[in-house]
Amino acid sequence: MRRTAEYILLSLFLILLQTSVVNFLSIATIVPDLLIVWIVYIAIRQGQFVGTIAGFVIGLLLDLISGKDGMLGLAAMAKTVCGFTAGYFYNENKTVQTLGGYRFILAIAIASLLHNVIYFLIFLQGSEIQWWGALLWHGVPTTVYTTVFGLLPMFAFARKYLS
Amino acid sequence: MRRLFDILLLFKEYLLFVCCILISIILLSSNDSDQIRTIRSLTVATVGFLQDTFGFIPNYFDLKEENKILRERNVMLADEVSRLREGKLENIRLRELLELKERTPYKYVSANVVAKNLQLLRNTITLDVGEDDGVKANMPILTDAGLVGKVIATSSRYAVGQILLNNDFRASAKVQRGRVDGIVLWQGGEHLLLKNVAKTLDVQPGDLVMTSEYSSIFPPGIKIGVVSKTGQAPGALFQTVEITPTVDFSRLEEVFVVTYFPDTSRIAVQQRIPK
Repeated sequence: MRRTAEYILLSLFLILLQTSVVNFLSIATIVPDLLIVWIVYIAIRQGQFVGTIAGFVIGLLLDLISGKDGMLGLAAMAKTVCGFTAGYFYNENKTVQTLGGYRFILAIAIASLLHNVIYFLIFLQGSEIQWWGALLWHGVPTTVYTTVFGLLPMFAFARKYLS
Repeated sequence: MRRLFDILLLFKEYLLFVCCILISIILLSSNDSDQIRTIRSLTVATVGFLQDTFGFIPNYFDLKEENKILRERNVMLADEVSRLREGKLENIRLRELLELKERTPYKYVSANVVAKNLQLLRNTITLDVGEDDGVKANMPILTDAGLVGKVIATSSRYAVGQILLNNDFRASAKVQRGRVDGIVLWQGGEHLLLKNVAKTLDVQPGDLVMTSEYSSIFPPGIKIGVVSKTGQAPGALFQTVEITPTVDFSRLEEVFVVTYFPDTSRIAVQQRIPK
């Protein structure tokens, strides 16, 4: 129960962070997605079921808070896929090893890439921008940036529990 | 139930994922942005394409329902066709009767046959006309095909007719080609007999037999039948002449009663002569 409350509070904090401060970390409009890192973390920690719920709830909250472009449900869908995908990296007996190793980074990279594919596929419908072009020039860099950002908790975990 | 619950529990991650995606899609479809409109139109186009492409694969449940509707329609149409066919046949019969009515000088009362028997020795038909329609006993009954019989009993609304295929029926007749006279009667079977025809007289199969002017009941010139067979029994004075009636009694439905009144003065003078 306490852990759930912690997750909720931390999620709210990260959503606020994502929609405000993180924008200052942008490199040529490319912004890392802290929420993907967080969802992948939850999925690896708690399993696919919780990861999927976390992805959906966080995405929905982000949709409601940001309210951008009248696309309620888009972030919820993309982040649900993130949580579900990251859940495949869950191993109850190797949680620490996963979080402190390359599998965590791999999970972030795959989840983030899928997230961006879905996001751009829907978001760019009806516009003149080709979705695969946007994915290549915006989605992939975002994935890379998010994955690099994921190195921080990975190293922190590795240092704390594996050294 | 328990087993179902176990299965649901086993696939709970997938069920949750599908539920979340469905909720997201529902939320997305509730938006009215350009992107969603484009996706909607793409979806409609895709579904239309798929329906068009795979439309040849029959849907079992649709087929079942369609089959039921078609069966019902088939029964309705069959019934309608039957009624139309009946109407057409009735039309043909009535036209023929009308033609007969127009070409003869007598007055006719049209009647429907409401009952008939053809299996007895004294076969009769019942008509839906009676004294109220001017029908009286001894009036001839005929169709466009020829003589049917005569009225033997009447009530205010119905009349009973004695047909040719009746043991008691007698009619004066004449062979059209040879002008040979005789008496037509029935002694069972499908054919009539022309009696009192001398062996020397010329009667051939195919000759038409009609009512003669000697009859006090039937007007002359009404077709009775066609000679189907002639024979000469050794030692007999008369030849046997078999006649096939021109009227098909098994299909008799509409007839005319001829309001024919014989010349009473002729009958009176004939009866004065001692026999």
